[in-house]
Amino acid sequence: MDLKDLLVTRDTPVGYELQPLKKKAAIQLMGSRLWGRFNPNHWDTVYAGATGLKAPIQTGEMSSAYISEMCVNHFGEAMFTGARIVCKYIASTLANEVITTHGVVREKIPKGDGFRFIVDIWTDNEDGEKKTVGFVEVDVDVMGAHA
Amino acid sequence: MSTDQLRPMSPVQIAQTRDFIDGLEAGAATYWDMVKIGDELSRELTISAELVILYADGVEDFNPWYEGWRMNSWKIPGQSPFGGAIVPPLLVSHFVLSVQFDHTRPFAIGSIHTNHDSEILAPIPIGATVRITTRATDKYVKRERRYVRHSVTVEDVGNGTLYFRETRDILSL
Repeated sequence: MDLKDLLVTRDTPVGYELQPLKKKAAIQLMGSRLWGRFNPNHWDTVYAGATGLKAPIQTGEMSSAYISEMCVNHFGEAMFTGARIVCKYIASTLANEVITTHGVVREKIPKGDGFRFIVDIWTDNEDGEKKTVGFVEVDVDVMGAHA
Repeated sequence: MSTDQLRPMSPVQIAQTRDFIDGLEAGAATYWDMVKIGDELSRELTISAELVILYADGVEDFNPWYEGWRMNSWKIPGQSPFGGAIVPPLLVSHFVLSVQFDHTRPFAIGSIHTNHDSEILAPIPIGATVRITTRATDKYVKRERRYVRHSVTVEDVGNGTLYFRETRDILSL
């Protein structure tokens, strides 16, 4: 697969599905110093159990990072110049779950010379249970909009 | 449940883990009680190449645009469509919690980040020093759960570029 072929263009249609990413919620990464070590709910089974969780839960920001990686694959530099990403964490991502990212183009709004793309985004686990839902807005071929 | 249920650990590692968590719990307080509407907190963060590598490796994002550090070479200028290496789009969002959970106060137990609405306005070059400012704008109860809302800005300390804006909610005990 040539990654350049993933880039969304002005001709990309509504309904287009972004290529998913798969990530395992590995407890060693969830509990790393930069990510979740400040809160044992993110990596300690005993602490998480005492607070009513079935297992340690991943920080929501890790799911948001997975989604943004998928979006950078498809929108490239446009993800860094006037993009909007809205995420709601509707269910906890548990340690050892395998998470898949998804995105579907919902709308193309004419803007300047190009379009403002609206993309529904979500993550789910192996059983299809949704974990994070939201949307992304990105400009495509809008020349000079953010100069 | 046991400390080593999800990963192998020796008795020494288990003891170290329990000591670490006991230390966190000793000074813990409830986030809801720490925050007043209108509270504004601000800190500077220099986004080093090494910090970006730690962030990106934790989520297994190996996009070369984020590489201002490489094994053997160490510091490199990197390459992206904007010139040198840049910061992943939501990295600063992750560091917001280090500002809103005021580092001068006790560990805030039982807090869960529930949502964010983020605007990525301009690419942040690796090596930039940014000022992250959070302002508590609301505290509300929904379905018997307590939430604290913050608005966030991230600006370049050197040239004033506004890189990032965000609204985010935290669920508190």
